[in-house]
Amino acid sequence: MIPPPRAIFDPTTARVERELKHARPLIGCRFDPSGRFLFVSAEDDSVQRFDLLTGAKTSLAGHDSWVRAMAFVAPAAAPAPLDSVAWQQVRAASQALVGFGAAVLPAPKPVPFTLVTADYHGKLIWWQGDSDAPKPLKTVAAHDGYARAVAVSPDGTTVASCGNDQKVKLWKAADGSAIRTLDGHESHVYNLAFHPDGTRLVSCDLKGVVKDWNLKTGKSARDLDAKVLTKYDPTFMADIGGARGMAFKYDGTAFAVCGITNVSNAFAGVGNPLAVVFDWDSGKAKSFKPKDAFQGTMWGVHFHPGGAVIGAGGGGQGRVWFWKGDDPASIHTLNVPTNARDLALSTDGARFAVAGANGTAYVYNFTGVGGPPPTPPKK
Amino acid sequence: MPEFSRSLAAVALLALAGPARPADPLHARIDKHIAAGYGANAKQVAPRSGDDEFLRRAYLDLIGTTPTVAELNEFLADSAKDKRAKLVDKLLASPGHARRMAWHFDVMLMERGADAKVPRAAWEAYLLAAFTENKPYDVLVRELLSADGADPKTRPAAKFFLDRNLEPHAVTKDIGRIFLGRNMQCAQCHDHPTIDDYKQADYYGIQAFLNRSFLFPNANAPAAVIAEKAEGDVSFMSVFDKNKKLNSTAPRMPGGKPVEEPKAEKGKEYKVAPAKDVKPVPTHSRRERLAGAVTSTENKAFARNIVNRMWAMMMGRGIVHPVDLDHGNNPPSHPELLNELAAEFVAHKYDLRWLVREIALSDSYQRSSESRPGLDDPSADRYLVAIMKPLTAEQFAYAAMQATGHTDAERAALGAKGTEQQLDALLAPRMGPFRGMLGRGVDPTADAFTATLDQTLFVKYGSAVRTLLTPRAGNLTDRLNKITNPDAVADELFAAVLSRRPTADERKDVADALKTTTDRGKTINELVWALVASAEFRFNH
Amino acid sequence: MLPCNYACNTADHATTRRAFLGAGLGATAALGADGFANPVHAAELKKAQKRVLVIFLEGGVSQLETWDPKPNTDTGGPFKSIATSVPGTRVCELLPLAAKQMHRIALVRSLNSQTDDHGVGHNVMLTGRKMEPGIVYPHLGAVAARLLNSNANALPGHIRIVPKGGSGFNGADATFLGPKFASVGLGDGKPPADLFRPANLTPTEDEQRDAFRKRLDERFAKSRKSAATDAYTESFTQAERVVKQAEVFDISKEPEKVADKYGRHDFGRHMLLARRLLEAGVTYVKVSHSNYDTHHENFDFHIEQLAEFDKPFSALLDDLADRGMLDSTLVVVMSEMGRTPKINDRYGRDHWGRAWSVALAGAGIKGGAVVGKTNATGTAVTGREVWTGHLFHTYLQAVGLDSTKNFYPNERPVPIADPKTAAISEVLA
Repeated sequence: MIPPPRAIFDPTTARVERELKHARPLIGCRFDPSGRFLFVSAEDDSVQRFDLLTGAKTSLAGHDSWVRAMAFVAPAAAPAPLDSVAWQQVRAASQALVGFGAAVLPAPKPVPFTLVTADYHGKLIWWQGDSDAPKPLKTVAAHDGYARAVAVSPDGTTVASCGNDQKVKLWKAADGSAIRTLDGHESHVYNLAFHPDGTRLVSCDLKGVVKDWNLKTGKSARDLDAKVLTKYDPTFMADIGGARGMAFKYDGTAFAVCGITNVSNAFAGVGNPLAVVFDWDSGKAKSFKPKDAFQGTMWGVHFHPGGAVIGAGGGGQGRVWFWKGDDPASIHTLNVPTNARDLALSTDGARFAVAGANGTAYVYNFTGVGGPPPTPPKK
Repeated sequence: MPEFSRSLAAVALLALAGPARPADPLHARIDKHIAAGYGANAKQVAPRSGDDEFLRRAYLDLIGTTPTVAELNEFLADSAKDKRAKLVDKLLASPGHARRMAWHFDVMLMERGADAKVPRAAWEAYLLAAFTENKPYDVLVRELLSADGADPKTRPAAKFFLDRNLEPHAVTKDIGRIFLGRNMQCAQCHDHPTIDDYKQADYYGIQAFLNRSFLFPNANAPAAVIAEKAEGDVSFMSVFDKNKKLNSTAPRMPGGKPVEEPKAEKGKEYKVAPAKDVKPVPTHSRRERLAGAVTSTENKAFARNIVNRMWAMMMGRGIVHPVDLDHGNNPPSHPELLNELAAEFVAHKYDLRWLVREIALSDSYQRSSESRPGLDDPSADRYLVAIMKPLTAEQFAYAAMQATGHTDAERAALGAKGTEQQLDALLAPRMGPFRGMLGRGVDPTADAFTATLDQTLFVKYGSAVRTLLTPRAGNLTDRLNKITNPDAVADELFAAVLSRRPTADERKDVADALKTTTDRGKTINELVWALVASAEFRFNH
Repeated sequence: MLPCNYACNTADHATTRRAFLGAGLGATAALGADGFANPVHAAELKKAQKRVLVIFLEGGVSQLETWDPKPNTDTGGPFKSIATSVPGTRVCELLPLAAKQMHRIALVRSLNSQTDDHGVGHNVMLTGRKMEPGIVYPHLGAVAARLLNSNANALPGHIRIVPKGGSGFNGADATFLGPKFASVGLGDGKPPADLFRPANLTPTEDEQRDAFRKRLDERFAKSRKSAATDAYTESFTQAERVVKQAEVFDISKEPEKVADKYGRHDFGRHMLLARRLLEAGVTYVKVSHSNYDTHHENFDFHIEQLAEFDKPFSALLDDLADRGMLDSTLVVVMSEMGRTPKINDRYGRDHWGRAWSVALAGAGIKGGAVVGKTNATGTAVTGREVWTGHLFHTYLQAVGLDSTKNFYPNERPVPIADPKTAAISEVLA
């Protein structure tokens, strides 16, 4: 029995829907716009595509280094996602009817989309993300050093990337040709995100400087302060920080960056996860913290269409936190058995996934069924 | 009973003591032993020290600082025959003596290691109180070796163990060195290769008193206390033994009998049984036997070590020298004297003040440090000439503050009601840098004096010395600035810094310097520095 | 503290009585003519003054992100390897400038230092021995200062430049060689306190007051003289000689262009200071770069730290070569350990002493040599395993010393370097 959809978003209904395994530790994860696939990247330089409908796993080979950034160029309006759980049951039922060896119910064709990935050698690769065996379509040497993040403009025309060369770069989504370089950051650029109206791009660097780029002029309209996510550790004499995750609210009224704060020992990762949510108009920042004391980094943050902020991260173990409204303390916490190194949220908000340091991607839904019930976080 | 008969009774008692007739006082016997050792060098024995020389030496040795100009003048003017004895008694009775002994025992016991579990202030207060009441040495050592740190009142005494983290080899080695005069470090791994007397079994005999003890809750806890288990034995194997035979020993002092250990009934080994987060208390404690075994009169090394160390403090060299290498191949320079000192010390109930007094009153102590012409290479162990002792960091700090009149100025500021304790508190912050610099890196047992570059630069350019030279009401540069007669300047200068009158040459030097100067204040400052930086000031001569 | 028997006349030759009596080896032992049997050999002294520079990457640098990269393997991390000036030798991309110096550098990629502990690692790397009870071995700096120091030089022979803290003398690293060879530490490259004449004391005043002190000391010495009092008065003469060279500690005397080459950051300044000190005749300088103890975000932190290391390191090799000093200066890049090939869940690498690398250059070193191998993922040495003792022999032999000789503290022979090991001849020129 599938329960009817709930009217109000309730994080306590989050359950592990499935665990997708890979042989090497995962780094990043993203749902394609239709929500049919989960892409994960791993320490073996590969990108893996899991078909949530069929369970098929496809390896995308082409990078020579680690990939953390994945973004999608898709038709403006993505079709409503399939209910993969329901479909699995239908397929199972059909198999049961006709018996093993009989032709199984063929999976529907996925909606076409382009995937852009970026690696730690500064390389961007374009892929046909929905093809049976995706191959690199286009490769661009985009940055000197790490390319840490990519994003695609809401109209699907522009790809933005950023990296350790302190640059933000814009590319034509169609052919990968360079449009413009946005200069201004003075340290490694860790993340970026397009405003939903497509006129602005925000980027955040290691030192917690957030730049709000006017895409018409190519100039930074303002600097916002996320320095709470950065620190020079005088003991180890090194900088720690930056936006490990970054996301806009669907209506454009806010955006979030996340990472680590209160660092007392950079080299052991002793600090607390934190999301900083900026009000778009005023530029004022609010800090969202885990309710319980937890040490580690917040690696991903998203705005759920239901009105909550979701963060994921870890340090030793993993956690997923939920915040609602203005309450700076999380209202709900899920334990993840491994450091959660990235957080993906499907477009419709029905699912989210974390990339595990143990090589497993954990996919959650909000049905309140399936998988073990969430254990309360340890004190 | 009338006065008369009471003294008669005293005489009668003494007479009854038989063979131990009221002998000469110990200081006279010291001189007999030392004189017997002069041998062919008798003619080269230095004369008795001058009054100024004696005064400075006694002040530094007994109260750790130099005399004021007034004290110097008063002593030199005193014509009483027994003025030296009176001075010694006055100094020993003053609070400065306890301070000096506390400094000395701090370095002797802790050897300038970093303070860890027992804060410095509490430790110094403990030592100061002990020497103020002249606590008998055996009592003091029993406190040091029996405190477990649990009672806040006695915790400072546990510093010897706690600040060594109760590390088995460190405490075994240091009990041997510091309380028994035996550096058995090499015996940790094998019988000592060059010292027949130091056996591996002796080393582990000491360790066996402590091998069941440990720091509770753990060695890293700042408030850790000493706890003990009821079981466990030491085992050791010589690294030279090809058969790799494993040996063990019961707790015992070197050369002594093993202590008898009552066998605890099975199941009753503990008063408080070990459990998680519980400090166990064994029925029979090995560690509690340690203090008694070390200080027992049967353990001859105990008294022998401390009288030798006190002798070395006063005389600049141990009868056994170095003081922690007492063994057959390194015989004492004056074995009978050492035996007599030890026996008398025990008979006088381990009274350190009495012992120091007797040494100070001896002619041997009061010899001049000036060699007679022709005696270029006096053999130090004959005590023909007083040995020059480098000032300790604390002595140097106090002497420098006294010499430059800083102490005078502070005392004046305190007024007539000021106590010595208040004065020490005022001087303490200035002593810190001297301690840090001149006490650092110094192996307290090394017999070679070293002057490292940084220590010399500290005296040469360092602000700790420099700021003492800035004129301030009542200090030396201030006083000298107000004196117009060059001879009077020289007199005050030499009296204040070097505790003596200047020679004619020195008066002339001072006069010449003052005559040619364009900036009198600066020249006076230079003169004071030169005297403070001189070898004469650096040493207790 | 008891004065020395004056029979030995000068402090320098103050062979202590303790030395004959078998005290613990921790005690200071003078090493006179009968100490180090005919020390260092006259022939060796005649050679050009040799110097040693140790660049110590504190915390444990990752061998995989430096000298022994394993790109595209399970342990390799995200970085690629790059070609160097030596065909066939590749290093991590984080060392682009060092890569161009590889013809001057010899790599030892097969070090097993047998410890994963910071303190122990630091000790074994600098003493070339396992730690043993009953004896504390002197550090390389003290050994070099003892065996290479030219008497003509008043400057301390053993200097450590550390990233932070105060400056001071008397490091506890000379042990039985005595305090003369103990290190002088320069925190953040600052000169030791009291090295410079105070502003309100003119040179003339300084000379006048010192002349007065000398007169007092001479008079005092006429009837009261000992090795100890001599040592004290002599120390003022030595201090004066060092004070006269105090400028050596001041890198603002360097041209702007040179300072730019080394990089305008702390480590750049410290490396430039090291070069000045070596040039002025200091025998041994150790520069520490902090920090590499990257249990978390190993890759991000190695980007930051190695960028800071690469430029001054390369500039210094060029500078030494330009000044004709590279042939007489041994340069060693070491750490207290390497880092685990396994990448942990926080992108960190942990402590690892089993299979890692050290780089050497300059005096006595065969540039371009690569000795030893680790397996494909760097988890084990597969060829020519060496220990810290092998390296210690190698350092000393590279500067022309016979590392198989003994010191004689307390009249007991103590081999200068671990006799169970020998120099790595493949890296010696």
